[in-house]
Amino acid sequence: MFKNYLKVAFRSLNKNRTYALINILGLAIGLTVTILVFLFVNTEMSYDTNWNGYNRIYRAGLKANLMGQQMEGPAAPSPMANALRTEFTDIESASRFEPIKEEILMRNGETKLYIKNNVFADSAFFKVFNYEFIHGDPNTALKEENAIVLNEETAHKLFGDQNAMGQIVNYEDRRDFIVKGIVKDPEGLAHFKFNMFLAQNDINNIWLNNNHMTYLKLREGANFDSFEKEMKANFMKKIEPNIEQFLQTTMEDFFSQNNNFEYTLQPIEEIHLYSRSSFEIQQNGNILYVYVFIGIAILVILIAGINFMNLSTARSGKRAKEVGVRKVTGASKPMLIVQFLTESVIQSLMALLLAFVLVELFLPGFNNVLETSLVLFNDHFVKTLLFALLVTLFYGLFAGSYPAFFLSGFQPIDVLKGDFTKTKGGALMRKSLVVIQFTASTMLIITMIIIFKQISYLHKKDVGFKGEQVIVVPIKTDKMIENFRSFKDVFLANGNVLSVSRAGYFPGDIPSNSVFVLEGREEQMPLWYLNVDYDFMKTLDIKLLEGRGFDQAKEADSISYYILNETAIKNLNIENAVGRRLGEYIDRNGGIKYGNIIGIVKDFHIEGFNQPIRPMVLRISNQANNASFKIAPENMNTTIDFIEKQWNKLEPAHPFRYKFLDEKFGALMKQQENFGTMFLFLTIIAIIISAMGLYGLASYTAEQRTKEIGVRKVLGASVSEIMKMLTKDFIKLVLIANVFAWPISYLLAKDWLSNFSYQIDMPILPFIFATLLALIIAIFTVSTQSYLAANSDPVNALKYE
Amino acid sequence: MINLKNLTKIYRTDEIESTALNQVSFEIEKGEFVSIMGPSGCGKSTLLNILGMLDKPESGSYKFMGTEISGLNEKGRSAVRKQNIGFIFQNFNLIDELTVFENIELPLIYNKISASERKKRVNELIDKMGISHRASHFPQQLSGGQQQRVAVARALITKPPLILADEPTGNLDSSHGNEVMELLCELNEAGTTVIMVTHSSHDASYSGRVINLLDGQIVSEKKSNVGQAAV
Repeated sequence: MFKNYLKVAFRSLNKNRTYALINILGLAIGLTVTILVFLFVNTEMSYDTNWNGYNRIYRAGLKANLMGQQMEGPAAPSPMANALRTEFTDIESASRFEPIKEEILMRNGETKLYIKNNVFADSAFFKVFNYEFIHGDPNTALKEENAIVLNEETAHKLFGDQNAMGQIVNYEDRRDFIVKGIVKDPEGLAHFKFNMFLAQNDINNIWLNNNHMTYLKLREGANFDSFEKEMKANFMKKIEPNIEQFLQTTMEDFFSQNNNFEYTLQPIEEIHLYSRSSFEIQQNGNILYVYVFIGIAILVILIAGINFMNLSTARSGKRAKEVGVRKVTGASKPMLIVQFLTESVIQSLMALLLAFVLVELFLPGFNNVLETSLVLFNDHFVKTLLFALLVTLFYGLFAGSYPAFFLSGFQPIDVLKGDFTKTKGGALMRKSLVVIQFTASTMLIITMIIIFKQISYLHKKDVGFKGEQVIVVPIKTDKMIENFRSFKDVFLANGNVLSVSRAGYFPGDIPSNSVFVLEGREEQMPLWYLNVDYDFMKTLDIKLLEGRGFDQAKEADSISYYILNETAIKNLNIENAVGRRLGEYIDRNGGIKYGNIIGIVKDFHIEGFNQPIRPMVLRISNQANNASFKIAPENMNTTIDFIEKQWNKLEPAHPFRYKFLDEKFGALMKQQENFGTMFLFLTIIAIIISAMGLYGLASYTAEQRTKEIGVRKVLGASVSEIMKMLTKDFIKLVLIANVFAWPISYLLAKDWLSNFSYQIDMPILPFIFATLLALIIAIFTVSTQSYLAANSDPVNALKYE
Repeated sequence: MINLKNLTKIYRTDEIESTALNQVSFEIEKGEFVSIMGPSGCGKSTLLNILGMLDKPESGSYKFMGTEISGLNEKGRSAVRKQNIGFIFQNFNLIDELTVFENIELPLIYNKISASERKKRVNELIDKMGISHRASHFPQQLSGGQQQRVAVARALITKPPLILADEPTGNLDSSHGNEVMELLCELNEAGTTVIMVTHSSHDASYSGRVINLLDGQIVSEKKSNVGQAAV
């Protein structure tokens, strides 16, 4: 019997090729999207799950509210890891490390290389993270002060085929390190990737100084909740002396002033998708995107499934006779249901085969847009295949169930006498399905437009500085730092170099903060400080709002001068700031050095747009180890060559490296742009599938009404009147769909926009545009078929039956 | 074999109620060849559908080989039907996606006959019907007469005791129509009970009894010596 079903299924597909193509292709596209999204989601959720005992590894963090300033991030104090190891029995191991953001220059003899993605780590690092050692001992590799561990690739780059163990490498012309271990890169994906591990074991015993990362691994069987409670209580006791010393207040008073300070623990497997702090080691993913892509995949599959249901039931008249005959010859309803479900599953499986081909075809583009490296045929292919089969079978059974039950319900006496081509039942169901389909498509169009408007808004937003034509160069030597002021003239000798300055960090980097005191006010103020030189504001074109900028001629070196940003003035309620004195702590005994506030600048962004602008203070300092050059727009490459040449003369040990400032800052937007592009692609897919379904339905409707069309034409109807008759029902359905789509889209878009600190007001135009677009698509799709039907000869129509 | 008593069938829509059969009663013995005649709308197709257990009466009794059918649900009727009744339709009702062989084989599949047994029976029958050279052809490739022969073969493949034919020659020319009628006679002579609905007096003359219906009621019956199978 099953063989009979298969034969009929394939012959039926062959007989109705157009509809088979619409069904199979539509479903194949839906499955392609589903598989791509599965690969993406599976990869995103696999981060950090390859570490041994990953479900016992946590990252310590800090959540604080100081004078209304929210601070949250993966920062921990220097002594925390050691305290965890020595004071808590639930801890198997704990490690402290400090990622090195910039590239570092490593030298082995004549070989000189910039290596990025490195870390200063303590000796417990490899007890928490199980790297495979090719050479060396994980327990002791980072114990000594000058130990370094290299990954295979870096060892090869520095030493070629030579054995690197025990060899000396020079770090930044400052220190020599001895290679104590060579490791393989870990399996799977992690929220960090390090090429070199430099030993750093000394501890700075200030608990309020949170500038390290600390990870801990609980013992097997340890209770997380009780450990966390114990840890928080223990560490609050440890910070108490620092609060009294540095903030000049008691713990009790500190908390009574609506301040808050607590340490947090985040499971390592949640970091990649849930942690969006500016202090992340590398750019993380975003759980929101995972949810959105899953949602879109479901919508796309739903739309493809609706096509299948609709076309199958619409064309059921053609199968009615067969159903009648089979029932008369002995088939029961369950047998017929199994037959039609088998056909549906066969079509789904054919679509799956095509989908795998399409996935391979689209994967490079998908990876390019999302900056991923997804692969279909890898170690996880079996998992992907099982998932795809499950979805396919579920789809085949679910989408096929309605047509199967509908068709198998035909009674022989209704269908065997005469020509049963008109499907009387199921019209309301079909219309409802079209409405659902177009609701989904319209929702996608509306939200896509809003996403692009938001991205465009962020692109055009005034960031408070001008980054085009500015290149940033890291300063590596003390000599350059000490003499930078005098070296400027060397570069300024070229007329195309418009300005030279330096700063501690630039937009796109991680800012630093400290606690300041305003003279005349008791409370401490958390401010994000930026060390700059006298030409910083000119180089980045930062606007002065009040007072004056830094002026070397006017300022005595012994006095500090400060410039605040607008947010500092507003958030901290500083009235008449210019002329007042601001103090910062200079030692552990609470000593404060005061300086003059000389100006207020317009806010400018350092971090991305998902963070609000922080209250900021600029100060002149020699601890500003990033140079910036503003260059004229003409012949930029030539100018950069000139700068490079001069730079290499001044810093021969450290080859010139630069980045454009607007690209550096723009990298923060990249993830959102990629997301927007992918969303657009998926929306187009959904629209195409909806249009395909509508096309199939419209052509079938036209075919069904052939006789009616012929009669109307004989009676005098024009082509346009026939077309209007055929399209108006579909137009009504699309309009009804929009009634549902608008409120749902509004809520979804509002929710998505709430993730940005800077967002557009909800616009009305995307809603109107999406409705018009859906109508145009529907009219175009349906009227193509209507036109053909309306133009056919009446005599052919009347002979039809 | 068949006993109908006071059989009534009413069709209802939202606005209209029409009585298709009104207190119809008769008996048909095993081996008879009976024609049911009457003008359009008289209820003959309705009667045939009820006899074929494709429809249920509103009221009255229908006994088939001693079993009361009118109270059975579709599952029960289907079980009796597939073992005992073969159907021949005016428009053949072959499945276009199946070959001649596969169309004829279909009732055997639903009666769960093994593949080897099915092959044997179908080949025997199509040889007998003279259509074995068309076994792998599709219905669209056959003439009307050949299609009806396939339909007859399909009706016979389970060797049912009763054949119901609804205007079996309606779509055929006279030559092919006569062929089909002679086939039905042969079957009847071999012991199969045949009930046929027809407009054609010529076709009715092949049967042994003619029942005339008008407005859902039997208005007359006529017997002849023709069409009486040896009991």
